[in-house]
Amino acid sequence: MIDTPLIRFADVSKVYHLESGDFTALDHISLEIEDNEFIAIMGPSGSGKSTMMNQLGILDVPTSGELFISGRDVAKMTALERTHMRRDTIGYIFQNFYLIPLLSAYENVEYPLILKYKKRDESGKASAMLKAVGFDEAMSAHRPTQLSGGQQQRVAIARALVNDPKILLCDEPTGNLDRKTGFQIMDILCGLHSEGKTVIIVTHDPKIAEYANRTITLEDGRIAA
Amino acid sequence: MKDIFFNLSVRSVRLNFMRSLLASIGIVIGVVAISSMGMLGTNMQLQVKDQLSSGADTIVISADAVRMGPTGSSSSSSSSATGITKTQLNKIKLAVGTTNKLVPIYSTNTQFTLASTPGRSTVYGLNPDDITKFLTISNGTNIEGINDALVGSTFATNFNLKIGNRIRIGKDTDASRPVLRIVGILAPRGMSSDNVNTDNAIIVSDDWYTNQYGGKDIYRQVNVIVKDISTIPDVESVIDAKLNTNPKTPVVRISDASSRLSGITSSLSSITTFILAIGGISLLVAATSIFNVMMMSVNERIQEIGILLSIGTEKGEVRRMFLYEAVILGILGAGIGGISSLVIGYSVVSYMIGTTKYFFLPESIMYIPMGMTIGLVVCIISGLYPAWKASNMDPIDALRSE
Ligand SMILES: Nc1ncnc2c1ncn2[C@@H]1O[C@H](COP(=O)(O)OP(=O)(O)OP(=O)(O)O)[C@@H](O)[C@H]1O
Ligand SMILES: [Mg+2]
Repeated sequence: MIDTPLIRFADVSKVYHLESGDFTALDHISLEIEDNEFIAIMGPSGSGKSTMMNQLGILDVPTSGELFISGRDVAKMTALERTHMRRDTIGYIFQNFYLIPLLSAYENVEYPLILKYKKRDESGKASAMLKAVGFDEAMSAHRPTQLSGGQQQRVAIARALVNDPKILLCDEPTGNLDRKTGFQIMDILCGLHSEGKTVIIVTHDPKIAEYANRTITLEDGRIAA
Repeated sequence: MKDIFFNLSVRSVRLNFMRSLLASIGIVIGVVAISSMGMLGTNMQLQVKDQLSSGADTIVISADAVRMGPTGSSSSSSSSATGITKTQLNKIKLAVGTTNKLVPIYSTNTQFTLASTPGRSTVYGLNPDDITKFLTISNGTNIEGINDALVGSTFATNFNLKIGNRIRIGKDTDASRPVLRIVGILAPRGMSSDNVNTDNAIIVSDDWYTNQYGGKDIYRQVNVIVKDISTIPDVESVIDAKLNTNPKTPVVRISDASSRLSGITSSLSSITTFILAIGGISLLVAATSIFNVMMMSVNERIQEIGILLSIGTEKGEVRRMFLYEAVILGILGAGIGGISSLVIGYSVVSYMIGTTKYFFLPESIMYIPMGMTIGLVVCIISGLYPAWKASNMDPIDALRSE
């Protein structure tokens, strides 16, 4: 694994074609991320942090350049292969939690297991994961709207982890939480990093960025530091 | 149900239950229209078929209408009268052979007086020996004397007649008004396909008839009662060949139950088709409302679709989720529609036809599952585009929408 990094941006650009002209959100980014790194991405608003996360999460593909994840060129993968990589290799944690509103807390965590194994979970993984992130078991049957922000983010983390992904992508995971809850969530992420996950987190908060081993700062779509 | 996408669809329908129910009402109406109208048509056909089958073994031969026109009389060789002549009867006799029965029939309309009540009915003149070949005397005896007569069942009931009662034939003003003595009452016959409808008629002997009305040996019609129904087409073609020597100017018209029936059923089935088309239109309207509700559901759940897609849900799975929703709406509509069809169809059939004895026969009741299936299929088709649209969304755009 020394010669092939987990993630490699090779001269990646992302250009949005707008009526007012082309807008370059990512400008020739080259970057390598090794297995089990803890990375914070910082930068002013509009600098391209979320755009970069979308590339990492293969929700989108670069306009030019190449992006390798686990040694595979994402542009050369089929739509179904990308879907399966999102399901199996990557865990997402969003600022707005993005739980599935029609499912209970437990079902939200069970959902990725159902996607992967095409059947309801009988292994108890979902409950175990909820417990691991410190989610109150009595709340398992609650719908997302009945939970606090911190509780929702715990459920979201459990959901992201349940298929045991290599990479955790967190776009401002504490952005909608108070400081205390935010640090609790960061402690969970730290724990996951020490268990071997590669964690990439976008944040505006330098205190949060202190948790990371490496900080990447973006400015106008370029890496500034 | 193990499928989480089915659970999601059920919950979505439940969340918007009123809206879903209203959309399904279109399907309900369509299913009811299709199935109850289909059943109505079938019940009508079955009833007519049943009523006409009493004369299924009979070929009816009558003078061709064309010959009654002014041009017809000049080409007439034997007689200008409107009926089957003696020579034609002999030819028919030769054509049908001895295994099949031949019944020459006189008939006309007459006025009569019963006690002091005047009336009007059909009179049939028949050879008394022929009467028992195709009519049933339920009460009394066959005609023996010259002044003996039989009456139909409805006739007897209406005038409260008994054996031995007398009927005076003719108008008040007629010089001679002969009297007939009722010796027997016929069993009910219904609408018969052999063109002899006796329920409301008087039956007299052929001798009395020709005495009273003249026209001896010129019959209104000749019925051939075949021994084996399957020989009807053959017998008909022999008769046709013998009598209608010039196909351009046929002298006699030959018909039977199946040819009459096909005429009636074809006009009935065109009515049925028309009503079914109305049902089809209501389903089209239903399709639009289902489509609308599905599009609303997709548009309201854009962010949810974004979440599903971004965490690794396959497009096909998203499609399936929305198709389930269409199926649920369809099952809801088709289910309510099926039950309503049973109730409404039963009422319509019993009101319009007067009997429900054919209602539960397979060829009638099958319209309910058929209507339900069509309703369900319409729902699924209406859900195809919304489902496709949902599954092809860009996850990033979808996530961003509020
Ligand atoms: N779909 C799109 N179409 C056009 N322009 C886009 C699109 N998505 C992002 N952009 C533009 O790209 C630039 C980078 O956006 P991005 O969301 O990556 O910023 P960000 O660094 O995450 O900002 P923030 O800190 O506010 O979340 C912005 O100027 C934005 O307007
Ligand atoms: Mg952002």
